[in-house]
Formats: sequence, structure tokens, C-alpha cells
Amino acid sequence: MGKYKVKLDFFKLVKREIRIMLKNFSIIYSFSTFFVIASLIFVFSVNDISYVKIFYKSIVWIVLIFSIMLVSENFLNEDFNDGSLKELQFLGFSEESIIVSKSMAMWVMIMIPMLFLVPLVFVFFQITLNELLTLVINLLLATPSLTLISILSSLFSVQLKRNKIIQFVIILPFFIPMIIFTTSSGTLFESNNLKENQFLILIGIFFITLPVCLMAGRLIMKEINK
Amino acid sequence: MIFNLANPLRFQRLIEKIEPITLNIAIILLLVGLFFCFFGSPPDYLQGETVRIMYIHVPCAWFSLMIYSIIALCSIFSIVFKHTLADLISRSCAPIGACFTLATLLSGSIWGKPTWGTWWVWDARLTSELVLLVIYVGLIIINNAYEDKSKADRYSSILAIIGIINLPIIKWSVDWWSTLHQPASISKFSSPSIDSSMLLPLFIMTFSFLFFFISILLIRVRGEIIQRKIEVIRFNRMA
Repeated sequence: MGKYKVKLDFFKLVKREIRIMLKNFSIIYSFSTFFVIASLIFVFSVNDISYVKIFYKSIVWIVLIFSIMLVSENFLNEDFNDGSLKELQFLGFSEESIIVSKSMAMWVMIMIPMLFLVPLVFVFFQITLNELLTLVINLLLATPSLTLISILSSLFSVQLKRNKIIQFVIILPFFIPMIIFTTSSGTLFESNNLKENQFLILIGIFFITLPVCLMAGRLIMKEINK
Repeated sequence: MIFNLANPLRFQRLIEKIEPITLNIAIILLLVGLFFCFFGSPPDYLQGETVRIMYIHVPCAWFSLMIYSIIALCSIFSIVFKHTLADLISRSCAPIGACFTLATLLSGSIWGKPTWGTWWVWDARLTSELVLLVIYVGLIIINNAYEDKSKADRYSSILAIIGIINLPIIKWSVDWWSTLHQPASISKFSSPSIDSSMLLPLFIMTFSFLFFFISILLIRVRGEIIQRKIEVIRFNRMA
């Protein structure tokens, strides 16, 4: 019975996060607009379209990482400022469930606009259907880890009154493995049949990221409420 | 014994006794090591005189990893036991580790130009070492970002623990991926593939760097202890 209650509570929490996110629908607009404009700036900065075709993966991922990091701040700052983060903990929700629910809501928030943006990517960068499919699978596999890390970075900066750019400085290095494996960039790590194992590696990264982020997130949240 | 020394004031008194000794040993070993590096060891049959960069590069690389391990251990200790001395040591270690990592990258780059024909390649070992430098910089920034020092210590401990992931990647990157960087020549489990005439200066330099690191660390820890004392005095005066 207890277990069942915990499950119910967790889904209530996820539902709450998604409801808040849908209420602030402007975040999704901002996210989509930022994604499109930032991608376009990259395209405009390259004269030859053949280069865009080569670098489309890098462009998509870099823009996506920055947009996720910018959005993640909204997810935590408001809750921290109005005290609901503390309240949730006071109500008995574990720190882990709060982090996972926020990441899940954020993942939904990213995936809804991406459904509409992926065809745009297909047209803008003039890629093949096969490449598009690989990109979509990569997105599905890598974004859970991205959202978890972004939530962690927001937790780091939630108590900073100034110089919020620190969150980018301390967390961006942890995106490097993901960037390498999602774009399988160049010849850097091209051995051990990496291209075939790329998706498995992304799943592996998620299973490393999940416990690490939950543990670190729990410690930070305890520190925040001191 | 350890818990007795865990008191910052007692530790400060110990530092004042040990620090001149370690610094002197470091200087003596450095002079002896440099003599062996330049005059007591032969040039490599393939690389010629450039191989002498190894005597700086390899110890720096070892220490860049070792210092991060110390930070990580102190961070775990700090989170579990909430001990100030662990925070002080990890806070003091971060800039030293960053310097060793930077020295590794710079000396490697200087060594790479004549041997590989390039200053830099994006291979797994070099990239992961660069990531280590960025993590060190992140730790230094986070240590100075928060007004409340205990909060900064706690956050940097958490970041340091997350960053442990990078250590095995650096260590085994040369085995996991095909890199331009050579695999380990000195291993715990097998005999070294370096001639003893080169191994001796390498070990002397390593020990000299070790004592140099200890003395710099002790100086920094003492500085941190004094700084905290000043803060407490200021706070008491304000109150």
C-alpha cells in the first residue's frame, strides 16, 4: 500500500510540473524561437550550404544544449523563489522524486516543440531521411541525460545572486561526452565500431548520469534548504 | 592521530614545522633531478633530446590526476563528516591541480610538435585532460562564487565528486580508444618499458614534484586557516 502511495504521489508531482509548464506556455515558444533563430544564425554564418550539411549535427546539438540550459533556470528559480521547492520537501517528497519529476516535465517540454522543429531541420539543413532518423533517435536517447544535467546546473546556481554564467562554466564540461557521442564528431573516438554502438553508448551515459545527478541533486537541495 | 590533527589549529602548528623541511627537500631533489635529466640520462634513439620533456610532462600528468583524487577524497570526507580541514585541503588543492594540469598540457604540446608534428590533436587522452583542466577551473570559480564559504565548500565538493567520472576516462583513454598518445609505459602490474637510466631521473623528478606539491599545499592551507580566523574576528567585531 505504502509503495503504491509513493508511486501515486510521484505521478502527482510529475502532473504538477507538466501543468505548471503548460500554464507557462511562453517558455515553449521562447525555446522554439531561440532554437530556430540560433540555428539560422549558424546557417547564415556559413556561405557554402555544403558545409551546413556537414555540420548540421553539431549546430543542432550546440543550440539544443544552450536552449535547454537557458530554459532549465525557469524550472527551478520560480519554485525556489516562491518557496514551493521547500514546501514540496516539507510535504515529504524526496529530493530524488522532485528532480526526476522536473526532468521529466522538462523532457516533455523539449520534445513537444522538437516534434515541430525536426521537419524544419530537415528542410533547413537539406539532410537525408536516414540522417534525420538518426538525429531523432539521438534526440530521444540523449535528451533525458541533458535535462538531468541541466536541472543539476540550475540547482548549482539557484542561490547565486549574481554571475549566473557560472552555471554554464561548471556544467558545460559534462556535456562534452554527450556532444562527442551524439554527433560522433569527426575521427576523435572513431574506433571499436563506435558508430554502430553510438546509441548503446548514449543509453549507457544516461544510466551513469541518472544516479550521479540524483545523488548530487539531493545533496545540493539539502544544502539549499539549510 | 589523524583525528587529533584534524583540528585546524593543531594542523597549522604542524604545518609550521613541516613546511620548511618539505620545501628544502623539494629544492634539493629538483636540483639533483634536473642534473640527471640534462646530464645523467641519454637522449632517446628516436626522439633525441626532446625526450627530456618527459621528466616534466609525466610527473605533472601524474600529479594532475593525484591531486584531483585528493580533492575527491576530501570532498567525500567533507560531505560525510562535514570537517573543515577537508574543505580547506580541497579548496587549496584546486589551483595547484589546475597548474599541474596546465603544465601537463603545455609540456605535452611542446613535446608533441617535434614528435607528432603538431601542437595539439583532439585525441581521447588530450581531450580528457583538457576537460580535467576545465573541471579544475570550475572548482576554483565555484569556490569563489558564493559569499558563504561553507556553502561554496559544499557545492565544490559535490562538483568534485561528479568530476571523478573523468579520472578513469583519462587513465584508460589510451587503451579504450586508438589515440596518438602512447599507452602507459610505467604500470603497477608489469615491468616498465623505459630504460633504468631514464627511469631514475623520472622518479627523482616525481619525488621532487611531490615534495613541492606538499609544501605549496601546506602554505595554502595555512593561508586559508589564517583567512578564516580573520573572518571570525571580523564577524565577532561586527556582532
